[in-house]
Parts: sequence; C-alpha cells; structure tokens
Amino acid sequence: MTALRALMRKELASLFGTPTAYLALSTVALVTALIFFDHLRLYNQILFVYASATMGGFASDSVPDYVNLWDSVFFPVMETLGLTLIGIVPLITMRVFAEERARGTDELLLTTRLGPGQIVLAKFAVTYLFVTLTMAVSFLYPALAIEQGGLGLEHLAAVFLGLTLHGIGLASIGLLCSAFTSSQLVAAVAAWAAAFLLWDLSWASSFVGDRVAALLDALSIQPRYSSFAGGVVTLANVIYFMGLALVSFAAARFSFDLRRVSG
Amino acid sequence: MRALALVGVIALAFGLGSFYATRELTAFAFSNLAAGALALAAAAGLALRRLRFAAGSHSRRVLLRGLLGVVAALALATLLERAATWSGLRGDLTFEQSFELAPATLKALAELPGELTATLYHDRFDPRTRNTRLLLASLAEAGPVKVRERLLTDSPEELDRFEIASSNTVVLELGSRFETVERPLEATLYEALYRLRSRSNGVIGVLRGEGEGDVSSVAELGFSGLAAALATEGYQVRSLVTASLAEIPDDLDAVLLLAPRRALLPGSLAALERYLERGGRLVALLEPGAQSGVEALLDRWGIQAPDGVIIDPASGASSEGAPGVDPIAYHYESHPLSRGLNPDRMTFFAGARPLVLHNVGPGDSVRRVVLASPSSWVTQDLSVLARPRKALAPDGARQDYHVIAAAGRYPRAGGEARIVVIGDSDFASNRYLRALYNLDLALNAVHWAVERESEITLRPKLRTPKQFPLPIQNTLRTFHGVGLMVPELLLVAGGLVWLRRRQA
Repeated sequence: MTALRALMRKELASLFGTPTAYLALSTVALVTALIFFDHLRLYNQILFVYASATMGGFASDSVPDYVNLWDSVFFPVMETLGLTLIGIVPLITMRVFAEERARGTDELLLTTRLGPGQIVLAKFAVTYLFVTLTMAVSFLYPALAIEQGGLGLEHLAAVFLGLTLHGIGLASIGLLCSAFTSSQLVAAVAAWAAAFLLWDLSWASSFVGDRVAALLDALSIQPRYSSFAGGVVTLANVIYFMGLALVSFAAARFSFDLRRVSG
Repeated sequence: MRALALVGVIALAFGLGSFYATRELTAFAFSNLAAGALALAAAAGLALRRLRFAAGSHSRRVLLRGLLGVVAALALATLLERAATWSGLRGDLTFEQSFELAPATLKALAELPGELTATLYHDRFDPRTRNTRLLLASLAEAGPVKVRERLLTDSPEELDRFEIASSNTVVLELGSRFETVERPLEATLYEALYRLRSRSNGVIGVLRGEGEGDVSSVAELGFSGLAAALATEGYQVRSLVTASLAEIPDDLDAVLLLAPRRALLPGSLAALERYLERGGRLVALLEPGAQSGVEALLDRWGIQAPDGVIIDPASGASSEGAPGVDPIAYHYESHPLSRGLNPDRMTFFAGARPLVLHNVGPGDSVRRVVLASPSSWVTQDLSVLARPRKALAPDGARQDYHVIAAAGRYPRAGGEARIVVIGDSDFASNRYLRALYNLDLALNAVHWAVERESEITLRPKLRTPKQFPLPIQNTLRTFHGVGLMVPELLLVAGGLVWLRRRQA
C-alpha cells in the first residue's frame, strides 16, 4: 500500500511538474467560462427580444419552448466541452505509459514490490483525479452564475457529472492507447481516433439490422452523454463509463503481460 | 505498417467528420470510412505478424490469463450495464422535474390494453427533439411503449395520414387508433393516452339558463377547458336548460352546477331536489354574492353557504381585490376526493364563498375537504373582491380554518346521493383551471361524485421550461473573478513550471 501511495505521489508530481497539466486545466476552465458566458448572453438577448416584441413580458406564452437555460445554455456548453475534452484528454494521457516505455523506466518499476496491476491502478487513479480536478475547476464559474440567478444547482451538477464521466471515459481510452506503444504521438493519435469513432456509431446503423444498430447505439458515447445534459442521471449511463474504465484497465494490465512474453 | 495505420486513421477521421457534419452517409463519408477501416485492418494484421512471442507453455499461460482478465472485465461491465438498464434507476435533476411522470400518466400506461407505439416525427436538426426523446424514453420505461423516430422528409404519406404539420410531433398508435400530439409534453401526451383508451365514464348534465358558467365559452372566465378535460376523462357533457326542466333525466351520472347568477325557477329546484332524493349526484360550484335558490337546497342537505368572502391573509396580495381575497389553499382533510393533495400541492381560488356544515339525517355524512388557512376570516363586504385596499378583520371576526369545499354522502332508497360543493367557480374557469392543482380538484370532485374513485389521481402539469432571464450584468463580477482569473492563474503557474524546467 505504501509503495502504491508512493507511486501515486510520483505520478502526481510528474504530472504537475510539466506545464501540460496547467495548460490543460487552464484551457478547459477558460473554454467553459467563455462558452458559458457567451451562451448566457445570447439566451438573455433572445429572451429580451421575445419579451419586448410581444409586450407580454417573460411570462409570455409566445417565447418558444426551446428558449430555455437547458437548450440554450447547458446543452451547447456541454456539447462543445465534450469535443474540447476529446482534443485535450489524449494530450494528458499520451505520456503516462508511453514515456516510461520509451525511457525504459517501466522495467525499473516492475523491479519494485508493485505488480503490473498496481502500477496500472496508480496511473489510472492519478489521471482520473486530474480529470475530476479539471471539471471541478471548470464547474466554479457556471455554478456561481446559476446560484446568483437564484436557481438550484442540481441540473448543472448533472451536466458536470456527465462531463466528468465523459472525461474519465476518454482518459481510459487514452491510457489504453498509451499502454500499447512507446510513442507518445501514436498514443495521442490512436486515442483521438478511438474516441472520435466511439462518439457516435449511428453511421454504421444503415448497414446492419435493428439489433446490431441497437447494440451500436448502446456502445456510442454521445447518446449516453447527452442524457446528462438533459439533467437525467441514469445508473446505466454511469455504469457505461465505469465499464469503459474497467475494460481499459484490464486491457492496459494485459499490455504488461504481452510485453513480458513478446520479444 | 505505420504508413497504413496513418492513412487509415486520417481516412476514418474525415469519413466520421463528414458524417457528423451532415448526419448523412454520403459517398465521400462512405468511401473514407471503408478505406480507413481496410487500412487499419491491414495495419493490425501486419502488426500481429511482427509480434514474436516467446515459445513455451508459461508464456501461453501468462497471455491466456491476461486475455481472460480482459474478457472477464468486458463481461462484468456488460452484465452491470444490462442490470442497471433493467433496474431503470435514474434521477431527474432538471429544474422542473420534467421527466418524473405524474401518477395519472403511470396509471394510464399501466391500464393500456396493448403495446403503444410512439413515433417522433422531426427535422434532422430540431433542438426540441432532445427533450421529447427523453420524455418518450421515460414513457417506455414506465409502460408497454415502443418508441420510433421518423424524419419528416422520409415519410410524406405518414405526414398526410396523421395530419402532421410540424417537426417535433408525436403520434401515439394503439391498435388501429391514433392520436397526433403537436406539442409533446407529459400533459398533452397523457391526454392523448386517455383519449386512446376511449373509456366511457358517464354523462354529466350541465345546467344552463340562469347565468351559469358556459362550458362552450373559450373566454378567460368560460369553462370550455373544463368541458374538454371532462371529455378527455371519458365524460359526455350534456346541457340541461333550466327553464324547460321538469325532471332531471335518470341516465345522467351527475349534474354540474356552475355558479348561477340568477335565481333558478322553483320547478328546476324541485326537480334537482327530487333527483337527489332518488340518489342523484351534484357538483355545485358557487360564487360570493349570488343567490340562486340552490343555497337553500344545499342547506337542507347539510351544507350551508352564507353570503360572504373568505379573506386569507396567508395567501398574500391579489391582482384585483384586497390582499387575501384569492385564497391559495393547502389544508386538505383526509377524503377520497383530496387523495394526493397535500400542503405542497396547492389549489387557487379567486374569491371563495365560505361553507358551513351541519348534520342532517341519520346515516348522512357531510365532510370538509378543502380549507383556508387558520388565519382566514369571513367578511360580508363583497366590495373587497374588486378593490385592492387592505381588508381589516372586524372586531370579533372568527379566524379559523374556513371551509372552501365540502362533500356529502346521503344513502337513499334509490341509491346513495352525493354532493360536492365548492365555494368558488372561477378556480375551474379557463383562466385558472391549469393553475396549481385546480384541474385535479375539479375532475376528482366529479369522479368522486359519480363513484369512480379509482379515477381519482394527480395529472401531469403543463410545465414550460425555465424562461426567465439571468442577466449577465449580475454575474459579470463572477465571470471576471472566477471565470477568467482562475484560468489566468493556472496559466501563470504552468508558465513558471516551464521556466523552472528550462533552468534546471
């Protein structure tokens, strides 16, 4: 346990010893603040236009249903942030295993009391911690803005829970790709490709029957993710992202076995 | 191998990018996806050929164990996901609890005689469909509902058949019957569900001719909304003209009296009394200031309606009359009629007449159902209804739970007579019917009167999403202080780390 904690501390120090982590944290928080502010401004403008055009005030029935905080602010913010995370998370995960492998320090790690499973666990845990921290920092401004408007934070919390789980899913894919290569570039490109492919598999539905189409839909990230944007937290969707993490963990662990027996 | 993988990834990315942008599998997208998949498969094949495994059973065991671990993780994840889907566990964190189905919707779904098909017709980029999809998913989780989607452009003959005029329209089909819902909210879908069931709950006679509320009027103080709601719940509404009323027909399940402004003819009152003596049912909505003769009849049945207005200071200011003149009731006695209503589920009355109950014949029972708050009092000065000045409780005014609605049961030789009296009729008018839980009180009163207690429920509300502004001026300081400054500080920290690494 002590060795595991020591490895996690080393991973954290290594992560925050590079400017990449700060750059990623700053970029996600800045993008969140700018997009949220911009959509909030646009939402207010549309509401004022409708309210003044109809002289009916904000309670007027003439304001279309889709002009609301969810559709006009939360959903576009979540959609843009989701794609931003696809771009940024692989940049964080690409070095986690690949760098050790390129330098040969993974061999050194294996000489400690830690088994491959614990090494993978430490690296996964630290990366998830970083993703959670990123989303917590990004949550600050939207949360305060909504709170100042006298609204509850539940819906926004669901949105950020979805974003955090999405980030964890992406980190899992990125770590898996990093575990199978010694090139950071290959790890990042492979993670982008895999995440982009998994984002929405509905393009393949026209080639397959209804059952396979339903399976592809169940495997896609986007439908799971947009349910959180709608303010609905479904256990099945939470399990989906946890499952993605579990399978990636097992596969990353397998990469150590593969390395041991291959030349 | 690397070149193949690179080409594969790029082709795949452009194929997917084209699909995500247009949501169509064009020739460009298809050829890129196919070429990308082939290139990646070839690269993977070459990579496998290059792998050199150490020979020996130990190596095979290690590999097999690792692979088994991956398969076990995959199986466990799939199993857990399926179990979670089956459990249907979820939390609705929306501001309006938009996806928590009302008891009435759940009941309507449970009573469906067969599988219901709900088809969403929409344009490709209609943002409203997100909400509708989640709502339909909620229905599918709660009952035998099959959800489908159709693009408007793909099904012109179905558009004609179902008379679909716009995107985000849902068609509910049950057997050969269908209902088209143009504004799919839970309330409108519920009403369509109810109409599809085509259950007949009976005939309601509505008295007309002495200034009663008009069930065909769509004006704000008309009652067309109530008539439509009764029709939705399976009641046929029939007008009874009081001037020519010699006897109330026995085929009526109940009589609805909507606050007559003038005195009813003695013959009409006698017919109503005979109808009740035969075990008839009456739902009477009264108004302060009106003397129609029904008050004396009701008094004989244990429900006195003294002229006056309830002033309930707990309800606050009114838009027209004195503060407290429009009571918002949240005290309900335990009674089948008020099932489901509680202090969080309020009802709104626009000027309510007080009711006083007294015992009548043996076996009869008259019960209070809806009460104003304990700080309410009654005034005989009806001018408070129109003047927004503060109404002061006169000396000796009794502050108490004044009765706004009451219900009585009267066993008679011909059957059990039932009477529901509510001291206000405006609460069921088009203007206020959908306010708070007014619709539920009005419809549940009818259901109880006709002895269809199983139909008493709480219906979904016509909620619209939060649409009030959140002025950015109010959050500008937060935007600068947190939204911009936190990323700025993080960037400074990152820059310092970078400089330190360069110097090291």
